[in-house]
Amino acid sequence: MHLPDGLLPPGLAIAGYAVSGGTLWYTLRRIRQERDPTENIPKASLLTAAFFITSLLHIPVPPASIHLVLNGLMGIVLGTYAFPAVVIGLFFQAVMFGHGGISSLGVNAAMMGIPALLASAVFQLLKPQAQRFAFGINALSFTVGAGTLLLSAAIFVTLAITAIPADVDAGLEQRAIMIALTGYAIQAGIEGVFTSMIVAFLTRVKPELMNS
Amino acid sequence: MKRSRFGCPWLALLLLSGALPAQAHGSNVQFRTTEAIEIQAQFDSGTPMSEAQVTVYAPDDPATPWLQGITDERGHFTFTPDPARAGNWEVKVRQAGHGDIISVPVGELASETVIAQTHAADSTSAATTAEPTDSTPAATTAEQPALIARADWSGSAYTPLQKWLMAASGLWGFIGTALFFTRRKG
Repeated sequence: MHLPDGLLPPGLAIAGYAVSGGTLWYTLRRIRQERDPTENIPKASLLTAAFFITSLLHIPVPPASIHLVLNGLMGIVLGTYAFPAVVIGLFFQAVMFGHGGISSLGVNAAMMGIPALLASAVFQLLKPQAQRFAFGINALSFTVGAGTLLLSAAIFVTLAITAIPADVDAGLEQRAIMIALTGYAIQAGIEGVFTSMIVAFLTRVKPELMNS
Repeated sequence: MKRSRFGCPWLALLLLSGALPAQAHGSNVQFRTTEAIEIQAQFDSGTPMSEAQVTVYAPDDPATPWLQGITDERGHFTFTPDPARAGNWEVKVRQAGHGDIISVPVGELASETVIAQTHAADSTSAATTAEPTDSTPAATTAEQPALIARADWSGSAYTPLQKWLMAASGLWGFIGTALFFTRRKG
Protein backbone atom coordinates (compact mmCIF):
# COMPACT_ATOMS: atom_id res chain seq x y z
CA MET A 1 0.00 0.00 0.00
CA HIS A 2 2.78 2.37 -0.91
CA LEU A 3 1.53 5.29 -2.99
CA PRO A 4 4.00 5.81 -5.86
CA ASP A 5 5.44 8.99 -7.29
CA GLY A 6 3.47 10.90 -9.85
CA LEU A 7 -0.08 9.83 -9.05
CA LEU A 8 -0.79 12.18 -6.16
CA PRO A 9 -1.70 15.81 -6.78
CA PRO A 10 1.13 18.11 -5.59
CA GLY A 11 -1.00 19.73 -2.90
CA LEU A 12 -1.63 16.43 -1.20
CA ALA A 13 2.04 15.44 -1.40
CA ILE A 14 3.00 18.72 0.31
CA ALA A 15 0.26 18.27 2.92
CA GLY A 16 1.57 14.75 3.58
CA TYR A 17 5.06 16.15 4.14
CA ALA A 18 3.64 18.78 6.50
CA VAL A 19 1.76 16.21 8.60
CA SER A 20 4.69 13.75 8.65
CA GLY A 21 7.20 16.50 9.34
CA GLY A 22 5.19 17.73 12.32
CA THR A 23 4.74 14.23 13.69
CA LEU A 24 8.43 13.45 13.20
CA TRP A 25 9.41 16.63 15.06
CA TYR A 26 7.05 15.76 17.92
CA THR A 27 8.24 12.14 18.23
CA LEU A 28 11.93 13.11 18.08
CA ARG A 29 11.36 15.74 20.76
CA ARG A 30 9.74 13.14 22.99
CA ILE A 31 12.61 10.73 22.38
CA ARG A 32 15.11 13.44 23.35
CA GLN A 33 13.30 13.96 26.62
CA GLU A 34 13.92 10.35 27.63
CA ARG A 35 16.55 9.47 30.18
CA ASP A 36 18.74 7.69 27.64
CA PRO A 37 17.56 8.43 24.10
CA THR A 38 19.93 5.91 22.50
CA GLU A 39 18.80 3.03 24.71
CA ASN A 40 15.99 1.93 22.40
CA ILE A 41 17.80 2.57 19.12
CA PRO A 42 19.05 -1.05 18.64
CA LYS A 43 15.50 -2.34 19.03
CA ALA A 44 14.12 0.35 16.70
CA SER A 45 16.85 -0.32 14.15
CA LEU A 46 16.18 -4.06 14.05
CA LEU A 47 12.44 -3.54 13.63
CA THR A 48 13.16 -1.01 10.87
CA ALA A 49 15.19 -3.73 9.17
CA ALA A 50 12.20 -6.08 9.42
CA PHE A 51 9.85 -3.36 8.09
CA PHE A 52 12.27 -2.59 5.26
CA ILE A 53 12.64 -6.20 4.13
CA THR A 54 9.01 -7.34 4.46
CA SER A 55 8.02 -5.21 1.46
CA LEU A 56 10.13 -7.57 -0.67
CA LEU A 57 8.63 -10.78 0.69
CA HIS A 58 5.47 -11.50 -1.21
CA ILE A 59 2.79 -13.71 0.23
CA PRO A 60 0.57 -15.06 -2.54
CA VAL A 61 -3.06 -14.32 -1.77
CA PRO A 62 -5.15 -15.00 -4.89
CA PRO A 63 -5.74 -13.09 -7.12
CA ALA A 64 -2.73 -10.96 -6.25
CA SER A 65 0.02 -11.11 -3.68
CA ILE A 66 0.51 -9.06 -0.55
CA HIS A 67 3.40 -8.08 1.63
CA LEU A 68 3.33 -7.43 5.34
CA VAL A 69 3.63 -3.90 6.69
CA LEU A 70 4.06 -4.69 10.41
CA ASN A 71 3.25 -1.14 11.54
CA GLY A 72 1.07 -2.46 14.39
CA LEU A 73 3.96 -4.53 15.73
CA MET A 74 6.29 -1.54 15.43
CA GLY A 75 3.86 0.61 17.38
CA ILE A 76 3.46 -1.96 20.17
CA VAL A 77 7.17 -2.69 20.57
CA LEU A 78 8.72 0.68 19.77
CA GLY A 79 6.21 3.23 21.04
CA THR A 80 7.34 6.72 20.08
CA TYR A 81 10.28 5.33 18.10
CA ALA A 82 7.84 3.72 15.65
CA PHE A 83 7.29 6.89 13.62
CA PRO A 84 10.96 7.70 12.86
CA ALA A 85 11.47 3.98 12.16
CA VAL A 86 8.62 3.97 9.60
CA VAL A 87 9.96 7.14 7.93
CA ILE A 88 13.48 5.69 7.63
CA GLY A 89 12.21 2.33 6.37
CA LEU A 90 9.97 3.98 3.77
CA PHE A 91 12.79 6.25 2.63
CA PHE A 92 15.09 3.32 1.91
CA GLN A 93 12.31 1.32 0.26
CA ALA A 94 11.62 4.25 -2.06
CA VAL A 95 15.26 4.97 -2.84
CA MET A 96 16.44 1.41 -3.33
CA PHE A 97 13.48 -0.41 -4.81
CA GLY A 98 11.19 2.35 -6.06
CA HIS A 99 8.59 1.01 -3.67
CA GLY A 100 6.58 4.12 -2.84
CA GLY A 101 8.22 7.35 -3.88
CA ILE A 102 10.10 10.38 -2.66
CA SER A 103 7.34 12.87 -3.46
CA SER A 104 4.78 10.61 -1.78
CA LEU A 105 7.03 9.80 1.20
CA GLY A 106 5.17 12.23 3.44
CA VAL A 107 1.77 10.77 2.64
CA ASN A 108 3.02 7.20 3.00
CA ALA A 109 4.73 7.96 6.31
CA ALA A 110 1.57 9.53 7.70
CA MET A 111 -0.51 6.63 6.38
CA MET A 112 1.60 3.95 8.07
CA GLY A 113 3.33 5.83 10.89
CA ILE A 114 0.44 7.60 12.60
CA PRO A 115 -1.59 4.35 12.93
CA ALA A 116 1.55 2.84 14.48
CA LEU A 117 1.59 5.59 17.13
CA LEU A 118 -2.12 4.96 17.74
CA ALA A 119 -1.38 1.24 18.10
CA SER A 120 1.16 2.05 20.79
CA ALA A 121 -1.32 4.23 22.69
CA VAL A 122 -4.15 1.69 22.47
CA PHE A 123 -1.90 -1.19 23.50
CA GLN A 124 -0.53 0.64 26.55
CA LEU A 125 -4.02 1.77 27.52
CA LEU A 126 -5.63 -1.68 27.40
CA LYS A 127 -2.64 -3.74 28.55
CA PRO A 128 -3.55 -3.75 32.31
CA GLN A 129 -7.10 -4.94 31.57
CA ALA A 130 -5.91 -7.57 29.10
CA GLN A 131 -3.37 -9.03 31.51
CA ARG A 132 -6.19 -10.17 33.80
CA PHE A 133 -7.40 -12.75 31.29
CA ALA A 134 -5.72 -15.85 29.94
CA PHE A 135 -4.50 -15.09 26.42
CA GLY A 136 -5.60 -11.50 26.99
CA ILE A 137 -2.32 -10.06 25.69
CA ASN A 138 -2.46 -12.39 22.68
CA ALA A 139 -5.97 -11.24 21.81
CA LEU A 140 -5.05 -7.59 22.35
CA SER A 141 -1.92 -7.73 20.20
CA PHE A 142 -3.82 -9.57 17.46
CA THR A 143 -6.54 -6.91 17.48
CA VAL A 144 -4.08 -4.03 17.54
CA GLY A 145 -1.92 -5.56 14.80
CA ALA A 146 -4.88 -6.23 12.52
CA GLY A 147 -6.64 -2.96 13.34
CA THR A 148 -3.54 -0.86 12.61
CA LEU A 149 -3.15 -2.42 9.19
CA LEU A 150 -6.86 -1.95 8.46
CA LEU A 151 -6.63 1.71 9.46
CA SER A 152 -3.68 2.23 7.11
CA ALA A 153 -5.53 0.37 4.35
CA ALA A 154 -8.61 2.51 4.90
CA ILE A 155 -6.52 5.70 4.56
CA PHE A 156 -4.86 4.28 1.46
CA VAL A 157 -8.14 3.35 -0.23
CA THR A 158 -9.71 6.70 0.67
CA LEU A 159 -6.77 8.51 -0.89
CA ALA A 160 -6.83 6.26 -3.95
CA ILE A 161 -10.51 6.95 -4.51
CA THR A 162 -10.68 10.66 -3.70
CA ALA A 163 -7.30 12.10 -4.63
CA ILE A 164 -6.49 10.18 -7.78
CA PRO A 165 -9.24 10.58 -10.38
CA ALA A 166 -10.07 7.57 -12.52
CA ASP A 167 -8.65 8.30 -15.94
CA VAL A 168 -10.37 5.84 -18.19
CA ASP A 169 -12.87 3.60 -16.55
CA ALA A 170 -14.16 4.40 -13.07
CA GLY A 171 -16.01 1.08 -12.75
CA LEU A 172 -12.88 -0.89 -13.52
CA GLU A 173 -10.93 1.10 -10.96
CA GLN A 174 -13.61 0.56 -8.30
CA ARG A 175 -13.54 -3.17 -8.96
CA ALA A 176 -9.76 -3.18 -8.61
CA ILE A 177 -10.05 -1.32 -5.31
CA MET A 178 -12.67 -3.79 -4.06
CA ILE A 179 -10.33 -6.69 -4.89
CA ALA A 180 -7.54 -4.84 -3.10
CA LEU A 181 -9.77 -4.39 -0.03
CA THR A 182 -10.37 -8.16 0.13
CA GLY A 183 -6.61 -8.61 0.01
CA TYR A 184 -6.15 -6.14 2.88
CA ALA A 185 -8.73 -7.98 5.00
CA ILE A 186 -6.75 -11.22 4.59
CA GLN A 187 -3.53 -9.31 5.21
CA ALA A 188 -4.96 -7.86 8.43
CA GLY A 189 -5.56 -11.40 9.72
CA ILE A 190 -2.01 -12.46 8.84
CA GLU A 191 -0.53 -9.32 10.45
CA GLY A 192 -2.62 -9.90 13.57
CA VAL A 193 -1.37 -13.47 13.97
CA PHE A 194 2.20 -12.36 13.29
CA THR A 195 2.01 -9.47 15.77
CA SER A 196 0.47 -11.71 18.42
CA MET A 197 3.19 -14.34 17.97
CA ILE A 198 6.07 -11.86 18.13
CA VAL A 199 4.64 -10.07 21.17
CA ALA A 200 4.10 -13.39 22.99
CA PHE A 201 7.64 -14.48 22.12
CA LEU A 202 9.23 -11.20 23.26
CA THR A 203 7.19 -11.14 26.48
CA ARG A 204 8.45 -14.61 27.34
CA VAL A 205 12.08 -14.32 26.19
CA LYS A 206 12.97 -10.68 26.75
CA PRO A 207 10.19 -8.97 28.74
CA GLU A 208 12.24 -5.79 29.26
CA LEU A 209 11.94 -5.12 25.51
CA MET A 210 8.20 -4.75 25.87
CA ASN A 211 8.34 -1.97 28.45
CA SER A 212 8.99 1.04 26.31
CA MET B 1 -9.65 -12.21 -51.32
CA LYS B 2 -7.72 -9.71 -49.26
CA ARG B 3 -8.17 -7.10 -51.89
CA SER B 4 -11.93 -7.23 -51.83
CA ARG B 5 -12.19 -7.43 -48.04
CA PHE B 6 -10.21 -4.25 -47.52
CA GLY B 7 -11.43 -2.53 -50.59
CA CYS B 8 -15.17 -2.66 -50.05
CA PRO B 9 -15.52 -0.46 -46.96
CA TRP B 10 -13.20 2.13 -48.45
CA LEU B 11 -15.07 1.98 -51.71
CA ALA B 12 -18.36 2.46 -49.93
CA LEU B 13 -16.94 5.32 -47.91
CA LEU B 14 -15.60 7.04 -50.96
CA LEU B 15 -18.84 6.63 -52.85
CA LEU B 16 -20.88 7.95 -49.94
CA SER B 17 -18.76 11.02 -49.32
CA GLY B 18 -19.76 13.70 -51.71
CA ALA B 19 -16.64 15.75 -51.34
CA LEU B 20 -14.66 13.63 -53.73
CA PRO B 21 -14.37 14.25 -57.42
CA ALA B 22 -17.01 12.56 -59.48
CA GLN B 23 -14.53 10.77 -61.68
CA ALA B 24 -13.04 8.83 -58.77
CA HIS B 25 -14.05 5.28 -59.36
CA GLY B 26 -11.23 3.61 -57.59
CA SER B 27 -10.04 3.49 -54.05
CA ASN B 28 -6.60 3.16 -52.70
CA VAL B 29 -5.69 1.46 -49.49
CA GLN B 30 -2.15 1.63 -48.31
CA PHE B 31 -0.24 0.56 -45.30
CA ARG B 32 3.06 1.41 -43.82
CA THR B 33 5.13 -0.17 -41.14
CA THR B 34 5.58 2.10 -38.17
CA GLU B 35 7.18 1.74 -34.81
CA ALA B 36 4.96 1.12 -31.84
CA ILE B 37 5.79 1.08 -28.17
CA GLU B 38 4.68 -1.85 -26.12
CA ILE B 39 4.35 -1.39 -22.39
CA GLN B 40 4.57 -4.23 -19.95
CA ALA B 41 3.23 -3.52 -16.47
CA GLN B 42 3.68 -5.94 -13.63
CA PHE B 43 3.86 -5.89 -9.87
CA ASP B 44 7.09 -6.47 -7.97
CA SER B 45 6.14 -10.10 -7.49
CA GLY B 46 6.02 -10.61 -11.26
CA THR B 47 2.24 -10.88 -11.60
CA PRO B 48 1.01 -8.81 -14.54
CA MET B 49 -1.04 -5.67 -13.90
CA SER B 50 -4.06 -6.69 -15.95
CA GLU B 51 -6.81 -4.19 -16.72
CA ALA B 52 -4.74 -1.32 -15.36
CA GLN B 53 -5.42 2.16 -16.65
CA VAL B 54 -2.82 3.59 -19.01
CA THR B 55 -2.42 7.27 -19.85
CA VAL B 56 0.06 8.44 -22.47
CA TYR B 57 1.37 12.02 -22.54
CA ALA B 58 3.10 13.55 -25.55
CA PRO B 59 6.52 15.18 -24.95
CA ASP B 60 5.39 18.69 -25.84
CA ASP B 61 2.26 18.59 -23.66
CA PRO B 62 2.81 16.70 -20.43
CA ALA B 63 -0.43 17.93 -18.87
CA THR B 64 -3.17 16.66 -21.16
CA PRO B 65 -3.53 12.95 -21.92
CA TRP B 66 -2.69 12.09 -25.52
CA LEU B 67 -4.09 8.58 -25.34
CA GLN B 68 -5.84 6.51 -22.71
CA GLY B 69 -6.37 2.81 -22.57
CA ILE B 70 -6.36 -0.35 -20.51
CA THR B 71 -3.76 -3.09 -20.35
CA ASP B 72 -4.67 -6.58 -21.45
CA GLU B 73 -4.67 -9.60 -19.16
CA ARG B 74 -0.90 -9.98 -19.60
CA GLY B 75 -0.33 -6.40 -18.48
CA HIS B 76 0.63 -5.31 -21.99
CA PHE B 77 -0.38 -2.14 -23.79
CA THR B 78 0.71 -1.03 -27.25
CA PHE B 79 0.52 2.43 -28.74
CA THR B 80 1.94 4.16 -31.79
CA PRO B 81 3.51 7.49 -30.89
CA ASP B 82 3.46 10.37 -33.35
CA PRO B 83 6.98 10.20 -34.84
CA ALA B 84 6.95 13.94 -35.50
CA ARG B 85 6.82 14.65 -31.78
CA ALA B 86 10.24 13.52 -30.72
CA GLY B 87 11.20 13.43 -27.09
CA ASN B 88 10.26 11.55 -23.97
CA TRP B 89 6.73 10.18 -24.03
CA GLU B 90 5.39 9.71 -20.52
CA VAL B 91 3.35 6.59 -19.90
CA LYS B 92 1.44 6.30 -16.64
CA VAL B 93 0.04 2.95 -15.52
CA ARG B 94 -2.16 2.77 -12.44
CA GLN B 95 -4.49 0.44 -10.67
CA ALA B 96 -6.11 0.79 -7.23
CA GLY B 97 -3.63 3.39 -6.03
CA HIS B 98 -0.59 1.50 -7.28
CA GLY B 99 1.25 2.32 -10.44
CA ASP B 100 4.26 3.80 -12.10
CA ILE B 101 5.33 6.35 -14.67
CA ILE B 102 7.97 5.63 -17.28
CA SER B 103 9.31 7.83 -20.01
CA VAL B 104 9.82 6.34 -23.45
CA PRO B 105 12.31 8.09 -25.75
CA VAL B 106 10.92 8.47 -29.27
CA GLY B 107 12.56 10.03 -32.29
CA GLU B 108 16.22 9.32 -31.62
CA LEU B 109 16.06 6.16 -33.67
CA ALA B 110 14.98 7.10 -37.15
CA SER B 111 12.23 4.70 -37.95
CA GLU B 112 12.27 3.28 -41.40
CA THR B 113 8.82 3.51 -42.77
CA VAL B 114 8.01 1.18 -45.57
CA ILE B 115 5.15 2.36 -47.64
CA ALA B 116 3.44 -0.15 -49.81
CA GLN B 117 0.44 0.55 -51.84
CA THR B 118 -2.36 -1.78 -52.70
CA HIS B 119 -4.55 -0.69 -55.49
CA ALA B 120 -8.02 -2.02 -55.10
CA ALA B 121 -9.18 -0.81 -58.48
CA ASP B 122 -7.90 1.30 -61.27
CA SER B 123 -7.74 4.82 -59.97
CA THR B 124 -8.21 7.55 -62.48
CA SER B 125 -7.23 10.40 -60.27
CA ALA B 126 -4.50 10.92 -57.74
CA ALA B 127 -6.92 12.84 -55.57
CA THR B 128 -8.49 9.63 -54.30
CA THR B 129 -5.36 8.51 -52.51
CA ALA B 130 -6.45 8.01 -48.95
CA GLU B 131 -3.54 9.05 -46.83
CA PRO B 132 -3.66 7.74 -43.30
CA THR B 133 -4.06 10.82 -41.17
CA ASP B 134 -2.71 11.18 -37.66
CA SER B 135 -5.51 13.37 -36.43
CA THR B 136 -7.08 10.89 -34.01
CA PRO B 137 -4.57 8.91 -32.01
CA ALA B 138 -7.04 6.21 -30.92
CA ALA B 139 -8.03 5.46 -34.47
CA THR B 140 -4.40 5.43 -35.53
CA THR B 141 -3.53 2.86 -32.90
CA ALA B 142 -6.41 0.66 -33.86
CA GLU B 143 -5.89 0.75 -37.58
CA GLN B 144 -2.23 1.00 -38.30
CA PRO B 145 -0.38 -2.26 -38.43
CA ALA B 146 2.14 -2.00 -35.66
CA LEU B 147 5.65 -3.25 -35.63
CA ILE B 148 6.00 -4.09 -31.99
CA ALA B 149 9.46 -3.37 -30.73
CA ARG B 150 9.83 -5.95 -28.03
CA ALA B 151 13.17 -7.57 -28.57
CA ASP B 152 14.16 -6.70 -25.04
CA TRP B 153 12.36 -4.73 -22.38
CA SER B 154 13.92 -1.56 -21.20
CA GLY B 155 12.85 0.01 -17.97
CA SER B 156 13.82 0.27 -14.37
CA ALA B 157 13.40 -3.34 -13.30
CA TYR B 158 16.29 -4.89 -11.40
CA THR B 159 17.41 -8.46 -11.69
CA PRO B 160 16.68 -10.59 -8.58
CA LEU B 161 20.40 -10.71 -7.79
CA GLN B 162 20.71 -6.90 -7.83
CA LYS B 163 17.60 -6.62 -5.72
CA TRP B 164 18.72 -9.03 -3.05
CA LEU B 165 22.20 -7.53 -2.95
CA MET B 166 20.62 -4.13 -2.33
CA ALA B 167 18.31 -5.63 0.27
CA ALA B 168 21.24 -7.30 2.02
CA SER B 169 23.25 -4.07 2.11
CA GLY B 170 20.23 -2.20 3.45
CA LEU B 171 19.68 -4.85 6.11
CA TRP B 172 23.32 -4.71 7.12
CA GLY B 173 22.96 -0.95 7.53
CA PHE B 174 20.15 -1.39 10.03
CA ILE B 175 21.80 -4.28 11.87
CA GLY B 176 25.06 -2.35 11.99
CA THR B 177 23.24 0.60 13.53
CA ALA B 178 21.77 -1.72 16.16
CA LEU B 179 25.20 -3.18 16.92
CA PHE B 180 26.75 0.29 17.14
CA PHE B 181 24.26 1.42 19.75
CA THR B 182 24.55 -1.80 21.79
CA ARG B 183 28.33 -1.43 22.19
CA ARG B 184 29.56 -1.27 25.73
CA LYS B 185 29.91 2.25 26.96
CA GLY B 186 33.40 2.86 28.22
